[in-house]
Amino acid sequence: MKRVLRLLPALAVILLAVVGPLFAAHSSTEPVTAPYALPGPGTPLGGDQVGRDVLSRLLIGGRDLMIASALIAVIVTGLAAILGAVAALRPRLGAVIEQTADLLILLPVALGIMVIGVAWPGSGRIPVIVAAIVLGTPFAFRVAAAAAAPVAASGFVEVASARGERTLSLVIREILPNLRATLLTLLGLRFIEAVYVVATASFLEVGAQPPTADWALMIRENADGTLLNPWAVLAPSLAIAVLTVSVSLAFDVLTPQARNRMVTRL
Amino acid sequence: MAERLRSSRTAALVAVLLLRRMALLVVLLVMTFLAVEILPADAARATLGFEASPAELAARRRQLGLDQPVAVRFLHWMRGLATGDLGVSARGRQVWDIVGQPFQNTLVLGALALVLTVLAALALGSLAVLRPGKLLDRGVRSLSTMILTLPEFVVANGLIVVFALGLHLLPSVTVTSSSGKPASPAMLVLPILALAMRQIGWNTRIVRSALAEQLPAPHVDSAIMDGLPRHRILIHYMLPGALPTIAAGVATSVGMVLGGVVAVETIFNFPGIGAVLVEAIRNRDAPLVAAVVALTGLVITVVLMASDLVRAWAVGRKP
Repeated sequence: MKRVLRLLPALAVILLAVVGPLFAAHSSTEPVTAPYALPGPGTPLGGDQVGRDVLSRLLIGGRDLMIASALIAVIVTGLAAILGAVAALRPRLGAVIEQTADLLILLPVALGIMVIGVAWPGSGRIPVIVAAIVLGTPFAFRVAAAAAAPVAASGFVEVASARGERTLSLVIREILPNLRATLLTLLGLRFIEAVYVVATASFLEVGAQPPTADWALMIRENADGTLLNPWAVLAPSLAIAVLTVSVSLAFDVLTPQARNRMVTRL
Repeated sequence: MAERLRSSRTAALVAVLLLRRMALLVVLLVMTFLAVEILPADAARATLGFEASPAELAARRRQLGLDQPVAVRFLHWMRGLATGDLGVSARGRQVWDIVGQPFQNTLVLGALALVLTVLAALALGSLAVLRPGKLLDRGVRSLSTMILTLPEFVVANGLIVVFALGLHLLPSVTVTSSSGKPASPAMLVLPILALAMRQIGWNTRIVRSALAEQLPAPHVDSAIMDGLPRHRILIHYMLPGALPTIAAGVATSVGMVLGGVVAVETIFNFPGIGAVLVEAIRNRDAPLVAAVVALTGLVITVVLMASDLVRAWAVGRKP
């Protein structure tokens, strides 16, 4: 019961971001009040830099961030799981991906996103999603490969391999089912990392473009009016904070781990 | 004899490790050069504007060396890098003149953020591991998990609202003096905090678990039996063994800090390399973008090498 309670915040935020657009009272692109107007009747969080309703934009601006992050997290975790399991069976491939990870450490994600995002013809979220997958997979691969190695060395995989099963079948039927706990943790971590990357990209104006309602972009656009209507910046900041913190708490609860294994000794 | 053989083998292994890091840096430079190469608009067009005539464009291309094959330009650029010459920007200025001072500013900002991170992470991680499972330990662990999920620009906005707009304690905007440096040290405080917060969360977790792994070690055991004071056990018996893991964690943080500066410098209007990058990308200034990535990659490579050396040293010390 306590576990369910700790899952609730994350479920509530995700639900709110997904169905939020249905509850937006005003348009996300048309001004309804004065620029940086303080909260008043009809606009509980006031207006933004051109007088658009902050609450409506807040309700609309989380969905794309959530969908993009979830997409990145699922693809990165899936790729890392398959590559990690294959690498555990075929060490030579593992070494190649390991090199890639060591290479990409040298390129901080924010820099990589900007270079790839700008080199991509056209703009929008697609290049950000592609960049996040390319830059994120090698790191997730390391985790998956480390977890897959002992499973690949175990007796039942050897038996299945001796039976003449192909690599793909070994990966899907023998190895991946035994990595559930690791992959669930990985999915949670990759989702939080994806939110970080997608939001930072939007904040740096790579990705979501004005006048789209987007939490990170709202923070960037309204920064100059923080004194006039603090809610225009505070509300989307809090939204992102609540999203990442609640999701990380939820995955903490979901993953079975050896808690407090350590005995009090000191 | 065996001792000397082992140490020379360790030295060879370390040399291979370091050479591999250098090789990876070169690969990164090739990839960056190629990625910037496929930018849709070229630098000649970006600097001349859309009204430029074809003849003007061709002249500017020749001036920037854009009419030569990619391989020639890359070799030329690499040769310059080796001698500290970063080349000429798309606007015809020496890249080092544009990048030099901001790069130093960013290094100061990043180094201070890193020092704060290491101190805070060591303190919090040690406090937590001394009381495993107690309220303080659980508090430190939950708090560090929460902080580490927050993007820098969200933390930065929180800090600005509280310390600059609410309490009027610290400036929220960096003013650049005529020397190209931030005008006062107080202007560094909020950017440092914004950068360090996420890294403190990340490293506190690493320090705590690295120290906790040392608890069952036999020499720690006997130190506890001997009734040595806690801080002595922590510093002299547990920390040395935990050091390689902690060093690797801090090395990873260097990359994250150098990524984080892009957003943090944008918010605080800090005259650093992040601001240069944003401007360079807006202008499709290929040599400038490549220089920023090269300098960042170089710093990270050096730090990773240092962390490799710490690990080699720690392994060599083991009986």
